[in-house]
Amino acid sequence: MLLLDRVSKTYPNGVRALERFSAEIRIGEIVAIIGGSGCGKSTLLRAIAGLERATSGNVTLDGTAILAPHAKIGLIFQEPRLLPWLTVAGNIGFGLSDHPSAVRREAVARGLSRVGLADKANAWPRELSGGQAQRVAIARALAPQPEVLLLDEPFSALDAFTRRDLQDHLLDLWADTRPTLVLVTHDVDEAVVLADRIFVMRPRPGRLFAELDVNLARPRDRNSPLVENFKRLVLTALDRSLDRNVPDPEARSTVGDAMWW
Amino acid sequence: MTVELSALEQTDALSPRAPGRLSRLARPALGLLLPVALAIGWELAVRLGLSNGRLVPPPSKIFATIVELAESGELVRHVAATLGRVFAGFGLGVLAGTLLGAVSGYWSLARRLLDPTVQALRAIPSIAWVPLFILWLGIFETSKVALIAVGVFFPVYLGVMGAILTVDRKIVEVGRIFRLSGPVMIGRILLPAVLPAYVVALRVGLGLGWMFVVAAEFMGASEGLGYLLIDGQQLGKPAQIVAAIVIFAILGKATDWLIEIIFAPLLRWQDAFSRQGGIA
Repeated sequence: MLLLDRVSKTYPNGVRALERFSAEIRIGEIVAIIGGSGCGKSTLLRAIAGLERATSGNVTLDGTAILAPHAKIGLIFQEPRLLPWLTVAGNIGFGLSDHPSAVRREAVARGLSRVGLADKANAWPRELSGGQAQRVAIARALAPQPEVLLLDEPFSALDAFTRRDLQDHLLDLWADTRPTLVLVTHDVDEAVVLADRIFVMRPRPGRLFAELDVNLARPRDRNSPLVENFKRLVLTALDRSLDRNVPDPEARSTVGDAMWW
Repeated sequence: MTVELSALEQTDALSPRAPGRLSRLARPALGLLLPVALAIGWELAVRLGLSNGRLVPPPSKIFATIVELAESGELVRHVAATLGRVFAGFGLGVLAGTLLGAVSGYWSLARRLLDPTVQALRAIPSIAWVPLFILWLGIFETSKVALIAVGVFFPVYLGVMGAILTVDRKIVEVGRIFRLSGPVMIGRILLPAVLPAYVVALRVGLGLGWMFVVAAEFMGASEGLGYLLIDGQQLGKPAQIVAAIVIFAILGKATDWLIEIIFAPLLRWQDAFSRQGGIA
């Protein structure tokens, strides 16, 4: 279990990026964190990744405190961040350097076929499209078989088609080994389609505003009324988090039925 | 590593450059057109008596001078002397520039301590050191090598430091996520990231090395291509001067090309490099 206990982060310039964020994230769960800009969602993710130390509070994975990057926690960034001097295969195997080469080769081959890029093994990153590059990044993060995979707006730089494609792809990959996924996004559609649970955050200081259980059967059809209703519910929560007028006060009751469907 | 290496070796077959074979040969040939035409034109002008070719000797005379120098064994002696000086100075300059540049780039305290001094020294025209070097190190080889090393040092130092400072923090973060230790981070992230700029710095440094070897050999040498230049001037042998210049050009280009081909396999990932890599 990934346990976040009153995680707070104040930057040296006094900005309170994150304040007392607590949550329990179960193994194999998909959690989406959504919120307006400056709500601390990326800070939270970086704290879970061990890239930034929380000012106070704890992040623990199965009882171990996370103070630095951890072998069981992978991270996918908004940009692919591939190493341009390694081929696609080299990039996928990058996190496996301490494995014997036979094991690594096999893991790389498996990763390549899992993301559908077996024919690109020897291509350079500059030869890939944005979607392909991000798939390589996903394969690279999954190669060491992390128990927790963190995703920081991973598809936001892609066009709508590619984004949907990769969202579905991510779910397929997740179904194989069922790692815990923590996904930061600003895309309501993405959160509802992917997540078991959605944390809505509010800005200044960044804190948890609402927590929504997405009790919709998988696979989810993006165009079904149930998904549409749930999106409206999330949007309502987001608007409330920003103290805006709520456009559709009925949303909660309709979705309330759907949840038990 | 094996995965990455085998992947490196296989890319050639896949690269879409094969159709450009012909143009790859044709392009350097195009570059030769102008100098060859000029040379033939001048040769004809002298042969037809349009010019006596005394101060500007025709190509045949220059070639004859080179052959003459080569046959007497003089050429090998002078070339060896000059090459030895350039290599020694280049080696020392690269070593010092790389070490200090790496320290300054990697460690900000060292940069604050070192960089202002180095930058101030850089502002001094390197030739200005000549009298001091002669006083300190004598008129013979040491002062010459020192001057060349000083010339090579600055571009290498600046190149290495600049390259380390501009390594993409986002890519370093990838290394952190995969928990690379300090030395591994240097080997797998920093060095490959710095390499392209380093090669450029080496090539600029080598160019300056060739420049300064001439200056060094002007200040009293008994052998070397620079000596041939001075000797040709004092004895009124323009063919010898041009011959030395031609040999300088050939050696300069050849050594630059050497750096290029040594590092080419490591830089194949770079778009620009492979495109301009039509080695002439």
